[in-house]
This record gives sequence, structure tokens and C-alpha cells, in this order.
Amino acid sequence: MTQGPGASRPRPFPHKRVAEFLLRAEGLTKVYPDGTVALSGVDLTVRPGEVLGLLGENGAGKTTLTKILSGLLPPTAGRILTPRGPVRFHSPKDALRIGIGMVHQHFALVDTFTALENVALGLGRVNFSLLRKKLERLVAETGLRVPLDVPVENLAVGERQRVEILKVLARDVKLLILDEPTSVLTPVETAELFKFLRNLREQGKAVVFITHKLKEALAVTDRIVVLRRGKVAGEVSTKETTAKELARLMIGVEVEPGRRPVELSLEAEFSRAAAPGPKGEPILMVKDLQVRSDTGELAVRGLSFELYPGEILGIAGVEGNGQTELVEAICGLRRVEAGEVELLGRKVTGRPPTELYRLGLAHIPEDRWKYGLILSFTVTENSILGLQRERDFQAAGFLRARAIRGHAARLVREFGIQTAGLSAPAKSLSGGNQQKLIAGRELSKDPKVIIAAQPTRGLDIGAAQFIRELLFRLREEGRAILLVSADLDEVLALSDRVAFMYEGTFTGIVRPAELTAEAVGLLMGGVKAGKG
Amino acid sequence: MSWAYFWSLFSISLHAMVPITLTAVGEVIGESAGLFNIGLEGILLLSAFTGTLGARAGGPILGLLMGLVTGLGIGLVFGVICAYWKGSQMIAGVGINLFALGFVAFGLQVLGSPGFYTVPRDVQLAPIRTSVGSFSPLIPVALLLPFLIHWFLNHTGVGLRIKAVGENPEAADVAGIPVELTQLLSTAVGAALAGLAGAYMSVSWLGSVTKEISAGRGFIALATVVFSGLRPLLALAGGLIFGFFESLATWIQSLPGVKEAVPWQFISMIPYVATLLVVAGVIGRVRFPKALGVPYRRE
Amino acid sequence: MSWVWRGFRPVLESVLAGLIGLGVGALIMRAWGYHPWPAYVALFKESFGSGYGLASALANATPLILTALTFAVGARAGLFVIGAEGMMYMGAMAAVALSLLRFPSGFHAFLALFCAAAAGILWGLIPAMLRAYRGVHEVISTIMFNWLSHFLSFYLVANILVDPIRAEKTLSIAKTSRLPLLLRGTDLSLGIVVAAGLALVFYVFLWHTVAGYEVRAAGANPHAARYGGVSPQKTVLLVFALGGIAAGLAGAVEVMGRPPTYAVYSGLTNLSGFGFDGIGVAMIGRIHPLGIIPAAIFYGGLQAGARLMQMEAGVPFEMVRAVQGVIVLALALPELTRIFRVLLRGWRLRGERA
Repeated sequence: MTQGPGASRPRPFPHKRVAEFLLRAEGLTKVYPDGTVALSGVDLTVRPGEVLGLLGENGAGKTTLTKILSGLLPPTAGRILTPRGPVRFHSPKDALRIGIGMVHQHFALVDTFTALENVALGLGRVNFSLLRKKLERLVAETGLRVPLDVPVENLAVGERQRVEILKVLARDVKLLILDEPTSVLTPVETAELFKFLRNLREQGKAVVFITHKLKEALAVTDRIVVLRRGKVAGEVSTKETTAKELARLMIGVEVEPGRRPVELSLEAEFSRAAAPGPKGEPILMVKDLQVRSDTGELAVRGLSFELYPGEILGIAGVEGNGQTELVEAICGLRRVEAGEVELLGRKVTGRPPTELYRLGLAHIPEDRWKYGLILSFTVTENSILGLQRERDFQAAGFLRARAIRGHAARLVREFGIQTAGLSAPAKSLSGGNQQKLIAGRELSKDPKVIIAAQPTRGLDIGAAQFIRELLFRLREEGRAILLVSADLDEVLALSDRVAFMYEGTFTGIVRPAELTAEAVGLLMGGVKAGKG
Repeated sequence: MSWAYFWSLFSISLHAMVPITLTAVGEVIGESAGLFNIGLEGILLLSAFTGTLGARAGGPILGLLMGLVTGLGIGLVFGVICAYWKGSQMIAGVGINLFALGFVAFGLQVLGSPGFYTVPRDVQLAPIRTSVGSFSPLIPVALLLPFLIHWFLNHTGVGLRIKAVGENPEAADVAGIPVELTQLLSTAVGAALAGLAGAYMSVSWLGSVTKEISAGRGFIALATVVFSGLRPLLALAGGLIFGFFESLATWIQSLPGVKEAVPWQFISMIPYVATLLVVAGVIGRVRFPKALGVPYRRE
Repeated sequence: MSWVWRGFRPVLESVLAGLIGLGVGALIMRAWGYHPWPAYVALFKESFGSGYGLASALANATPLILTALTFAVGARAGLFVIGAEGMMYMGAMAAVALSLLRFPSGFHAFLALFCAAAAGILWGLIPAMLRAYRGVHEVISTIMFNWLSHFLSFYLVANILVDPIRAEKTLSIAKTSRLPLLLRGTDLSLGIVVAAGLALVFYVFLWHTVAGYEVRAAGANPHAARYGGVSPQKTVLLVFALGGIAAGLAGAVEVMGRPPTYAVYSGLTNLSGFGFDGIGVAMIGRIHPLGIIPAAIFYGGLQAGARLMQMEAGVPFEMVRAVQGVIVLALALPELTRIFRVLLRGWRLRGERA
């Protein structure tokens, strides 16, 4: 089934206007089994030969919408139209059959397979030598260079994304949907991706580009649809809009002043960040740290830094550059290969997590479902995870039920955790409330050092802002905070100093005020700064 | 000690290899697709029994077929529970084992021979007689099948898809592969091979059924799969190794003077100790599919 | 409301699974030409219809409570310990061996129970260490140890502990070491108190102690547990030890409290199966120590009634174990009640259409 760019071929349609679209969604609504309304009455039109931006905050419904368009989820109501009439997708296969392909934020690749095998996977019966020729042609046309015969687990993240794209292109799609494709890329890789997308547009294909970053939406799209709380908040032509207008559409007017999202307040925060600077002795010191990843490669390659009381040290960088391993090693959850960690002047390398927390370390983990919470446990039980051996909560090995309940009730009150009750399982809480529960529990340890890894990921605006303000308050109380975040704007806005992590080392530690956009790009892409 | 003694060791080894190898390569298929079936022991036991029923009704071929179908049926039940209804693979496996224990004991009672039933000689599978001894026709099958399955899993599109489902079901789903169906069929085919192995034991090899006929072979086959790291050819090697240890236990007891020196109970422990040692030795070196044992749910 | 449902649902699921099991059992009986109804009437009349039957149900439940606890405490820690069978044999052997010695009445029994528990722990030690330090899956290691225990017990029964007069059994338990009967004329002994008491202890341990909290945390989310300072290795060792105590006691109370012989028979015929039945019981009891008690009594009752069923309806009593297997299969389903509701709805729809 080799078709040219679908829409360039004239087709006999009764109304000329009808043929102007490639895909149209009408009144799409999605209600999840738990009652969450992710989308309500969304209309969307995709035209051939355009890059359509789909912009919105976390939780605005972008991902749900694209999952419906690519056949992964059925809509609760509404319909999808092609020029040939309405269609109904039962699986991604149906969507692909009419030329809609999706590249997911989390790659759908089989790690142990080669690029060639991954591409072959969806094609049914394949002739490998023909497929190889086709792929080589595609690579030549698009410039998406990847080794075809290496297991994809050995490829860099950017290369894996190319495999994902090739997988879809090999199926002759007319519409390519990309879900937050730049979140895993360095600025250089992002620029290459944008070049490729414009190239696709030239070939008459359509692209739906999903992002929550204003700059990217403005840089690469022709038209932008903004989603807010599951509804279309506005549709604009890229040429005629501004970042301010987009931001307003994204956030809505009902947001209180002073609770602006970080991205908008970025410029203001730059000036704020002219902070007092390091005070006194460093409270956490990391020297020449080396840590291996799960697959055995060195993920942290000789890192050193100091963290001072009363500062937020941000660690920026594309994910997968060793941040996870660094945090786990500092917090006693991963073996340290070489080097040292010093907390309050004591060597604590390789000590167990409970010992570290007794010394004054708290950890808000990156993956709250993996480390932060036991989802089947109640709110009460979760409120003492890690504290279970404390005198306050046990006597002679028996749990003090009343004291523990009191503690949980206090956390719920102080942090405004919305829950059906103290005996409700943690899995019944929303993401934001789960994060508040973790933060509350960790802070109840009265820590001197707080390691916060991706603390606002996946939270709605209100919860994210709550956490950010909390970090600020803790900093003002003189505590030291290590903030690891893949959200560059967040790191730049909150940190007193920012370290850029690339392939297991820091390319530089700088004050945000001293940074230019170009410098950020270089540091994230692995070019070392002159100082740091 | 004469040449004949060693020859008998070789011959018993080959016969003991068959059920473990068949069960293990079957389980390799199922585990490649991500389902972990600890009910193999029960399938061996059940199909050893139904195999004799089939043989009584219509001869040895029907007996083997009955075993195969029994395994297939149990595998389909297991697959529906685990792949479609996302049930616990461990619990379902235990359920199969318990059911088999009860059902076979019940069935042997019904046959009127509690505990032990001898399959009439005329409905046993006729061995291939050669100048060096007689062998079960299933020995060449068990020797060749791993090669076939190796080719199937590694060099065909279907094999590729099975492995993709076990490694990353979400990716497979996105690629349009029916995850649940693939898992169901893989585990059912695997269970069918275990069924064939069970029927082989009663209809061809031992010529009888007892409540203990499986004797842990289902679990030894699981250990063989661990040893193989899901490679069918290594599963064959594992089957040969464990078959050898099993026959070693039988063989040593047949040597003159041994019974007096070492109690037979200790010699009978050999295959189980060997299994433990092999598994403890290879663990950590092998890599299993990422999604093995984890029910797949579309987000 | 929701928490009532959460507490009630497991019970409902177990009952549903029980009905499914009995239903499939009836189908199997039909297929073999038996009449299921009179068979089941006989089964339940015997086990739950008379005082004597109830006493035998409780007597049968005694070892099952204990072996079920072994599985349950392991499952709470995320382990699939199916080694109760082997540990139980060792417990029984220890209890019999203690009768070679002489002690005052009462103390002798206590010492025998203590040694049986120790034997159970010892038998779990190697699989526990293989799991904790080498990552060997406990299903494989405990099954292999079951077989080692099987053969070792065969040897002990036939050679070391054999009754010099009757070679088909071991020496009888010394009178000073026997558990007193609670009801004269039945075989219900003090063992039921030991078993139920241990279930209570396990309950308190799991839900009211720090170590129990850590065990459950390790089972529910091993990563979060490690983050919370729980050592995975220690958890494995602890859980195997607790399981060893329960299973060791199961073997001991069975031989020390079961008249008339107070001994182990060659072929282990009066012991074999308790370990595996315990797994089913643990699941019917939703791996909750207190849920296990009624589940064990239910299953013990089925066993007690099965003898009468065999006599009156001619159905071999092994039928009961097949029923148990089906019950466990049904319990493997994560949302049994939901599936049941869906089936019910489908059935209703069909009814409307007709």
C-alpha cells in the first residue's frame, strides 16, 4: 500500500470544502471509569500540509485527545471523520490503516529488538530485505539517520525517537501525531526535529505537534489549538499570535494574579534569583561520585558539588543523563561505585535511607508510585513510611495506632490533602494529593536537606504551584534544597544556582541570571561552560 | 562394570529427557509472550491420566492426542484467566496444580485402581526397536522440536511478535498486535506440549499412572526454562542435563552393592539437588522478558 | 459505605468462588455418572450437620490453618512460599523424634512443639537464603526442598524412627508428649487452640507491629519499602522463619494430637497434602490470618464429609481436592465479583430479549 501524500491527490467530493481536511473530530468527550472528565466536546480539524500545534498544561487533555485520534482509546462520545466519512477505531491498527500514526512520549519500542525489527513489528508479514531497502530510502529522504541493526536499548534517546518516527513513516502515514517529542531531546536535537517536521509539511503530510511549551509551538507550527481542562480554549494562526495570548488561553482568566505559571513569571524570577548566595559551610557535599545504571553502564561519571543552607540548587538537563541515578545514590537507594557523599560533615556514602533521614535528609522521589507511596496502603499507613521505627510511632515493636492516626490527620490538615478519609487507600488520591502526602511526610522529618526530584511532574497547576511555593518557603527557613527537574523553566525560575547535567557529568553550575538562551542550549547539549 | 550398564544409563537418560524438554520448550513459548505458568506440574499429571483414558478408548495415538488436547484445554483456561481477565498467574497456576492432584486421585479411584493404574500393554505406544535397544518414538520428536521452536521464535514474524508482546506489550499493542490473543495462544501451545509430555509418561515411557507420576517434573521444567534464559536450544540442553540426573538416580540404584551402602531415598534426591544447584548457579546471568508475569492493561 | 464494601468484597468473592468450585465439581461428577445432589447432601450433612462432624471438621482444619499461615505470611511479603509441605514433614519428624527422649508430661509436648517449629525454620533456611542473596525463585527452591523432605522423611520413617513391632509406621508419640483431646470420643485436640492462637499472633504481627508493617510494605511495593528503610533480605528471612514455625507446628500437632495411632505412616499417607491444601485454604481465606480460620474449617469440613460422601454416594473423596483447585482458579481473577455482575447483566439482557 504505497500512496503518495494523500491530500495532494484530487478526489471527487460533493463539496469542495469538505476535501480540505484530512481528519476532523467532532464533539469528542472522554470520561474515564473513575469519573474523571478528560475531554468534553472537543472539535478539531487537521488539514493536509500543515503542522498543527496542540498546546495545553498538564491535565488539559492533550494526551487523551491524541490517544483517541490514534485509536488507543475509544471516545465516550463524539465522532471522527475522514474525507470518506466517519470512522471508528478499535485499535491503533485501524488508525494506521487510514494513515494516522502516533509517536508516543514514552517510546513504544521493544528494547531488545533492532530498529529494523521494531519497524517490522507492526507490518504483519514482512520481507526483511525489502523493508531494509525501504528504510534506507526513508532515511535518505528524511535525514533520520539511525543504525538499523543495533538493539534499540543501545541507542541514544534522540535516536530512539527517530526509530519511533521511522516506524510510523514506514506505514505510509498521512498524519503524524507527536506527543511532547522535545521533552527528551537536547536543543540541538530539537532543532533537527523541527527541520524534519517542516520537511514533512513540504511533502504534503500533516503533523499534530503536542507541547506545553509556548516557544516550541510558536517556532514550528502553522496553526495552534489550545486546550484547557478538556475543552478547546482557542484556535489561532501562529503568524498572528503572541506568547502572551497563548499563555492567556492556556491558563484562562480565572487564575489569580500572582499565581502565574512559572513560564510566564520566568523573567521576573530571573531578577529575584540574585540571591544572597552560599551561606556558611556546605551541608551536603558530593565528591567524584560514580554510579551505575540498572543496565550496568556508568550513569554518573565523577560528579562533584556542594549544597549550602538556604539555597536551591537546581539540576537541569534532558532526562536520562544520570539524574535518577545521582539522586538514588545520594539517598542510599543505589550502590555508589566510587566517590563520596558527605552530609553535615559526616561521610554517609552507601548508608541506608533511614540512617540518612535521621541525620536530616528528606527525599521527595521522582517516581511517586515506585518509591514514594505504597498505593494499596491507607493514607495513615503511608504517612509513616520510613518513620515506622521512630519512638513516636512505636513502642517495643508495636505500632502506636493512635499516634500514627494523629500524625496522618495533621499532614492532611496542614497540607490540604483531599482524601475520602485517613483509611482511604493512597491509590484513591489524585496525583497532586499524593504528592502533597509525600511532601508532608518527608517534611515531617524536619530535614535540613531536601532532595526533590521532579516534584511537580504531572500535577495540575494548583498543586504544582503549592509545591513550588513550599520549596521556596523551605529555602527561606534556611534549609538546603536540591531540585532535580526536567522542566527547564521550573529549574531556572526556582534555583539560586543551576547545574546542567549531561551524560553523567555537569557541563556547568551557573546562576540563572547569568544565562542566555544560547548558553542554556549549549550546556544542555553537552558543551562545557568555561567556569563551574 | 560392563558396557551394558552405561548403555542403560544413556537409554534411561534419553527417555527421562523427553517430558522435561517438551514441557520446558513449551513454557519457553509461553514465557516469551509474558505468561508464567506454574501449573505445568498439574498439566503433566492431568494429561498423564487423560492420556491413558484416550489410549484405552482408541489406542496410543489417541492417548497422546488426548494428552495434547488436555494440555491445550488447561492452557486456554489459564490463558483466558491471565491474558484476558488479568488474573494472577501464580494463583491460577496453583489452582491448576491442586485441581490436578484431586482430579487424578479421583479419576484413579473411578478406574477402580486407587493410586496406581497400569496401562495395558497393547495400548502403549510401541517403541522403535533397533539393534542397540528400543526407544520411544517421542525421543526424536523431543530432540527436534527445540530446533523447530528456535527457528519459529527467532526467524519468523509470528515469533518476533510473540517476543515483542512479552518484552513490551504496550509497544506491541501500539503496533497493532493483539496482545491478549498472542498471549493466550502462546501459553496454550506451551501447555499443549506439556500435555503431550504427560501422555508420553503414561502411554509410552512408564506404562502406568500414579498420583505422583509428575514427581516435580513440571517444576524441574520451570527450572530448565530459567537455565535456558528462554532459548529453546538451551532448554534442550537443560532437559538432557536434568534427564541425566534423574536417570542417574535410577541407574545408581541398579548397580550391585549400592543399595546396601547408601539408602535409596538419598539417591532419589539427586535430581532435586541438581536442579537447585543449577538454578542457583545460573541465576542472575539470564535475562527474562521485561513484562513476564505482569498482566497487561491498556492505560 | 465504601469501606464496608471493601471489607465485605473479599468474603463475597470467596463465597462465589466456593460456589463455582462446587458447581464444577458437580459437572465432573455428572460426567462420571454420579448424582451430585445426594453427594453434596451427604457431604454437608456429615461435616456441618452433627456435633461429631463439626469436631472432625475442626480437627481437620487444625494443620490446614497452620500451613495456610505459612503461605499467607509469605504472600503478604510478596513471596510465593509453597514449601509448607516439606517443612510440615520435618516438624512431624521432629515431634516423633522427641518421643525417643523422656520428659515430664506437658513439658514434653511443649518441647516437641518447640523442636518442630525449629525444624520448620531450618528446612526453610536454604530456600530463604537462596531467595534473599541469590535471587533464586522461591517456587522452584521450595518445591525442590519439598521433594528432599519427602525422601528424607521416607528414610527416617523406614530406618530411624521405625516402630520395631509394626514396620509400616513410626514409633508412637510418647504419652507425655500427646496433646490432650478437647472432646472425648472425637479427635479434636488442643492443637486447634495452638493453630487458632498462632493465627491470632500472625494477625497482630502483621497489622500491629513495626516488623509486620515492614513485611506488608515489602510485599505491596518492594521499592517503596526499601526507600522506607526496609531491608528486603531481612524480610525474606523473617517471613520464611515465621512460615517455618507455622508449618513445623502443623506436622507436629497432626501427629501429637490425632488418635488413635499418634504416629507417621510409611508413605507419609497421614500427612501428605496438608501443605498444598494449605495454599488453597490461604487463598480462600484471602491470605488474612483471621480469614484463614473459617476457610480451614470449611475445607476441613469438606474433607470430613467426603468420607461419608464416598460411602453414601460412592463418589471418591478426592473429588473435594479437585473442587478446591477450581475454587483457587476462580480466586485468581482480580475482580471476581465484577465479572459475576457482568455475567448476571448479560443473563438478564438475554432474558429480556427472549
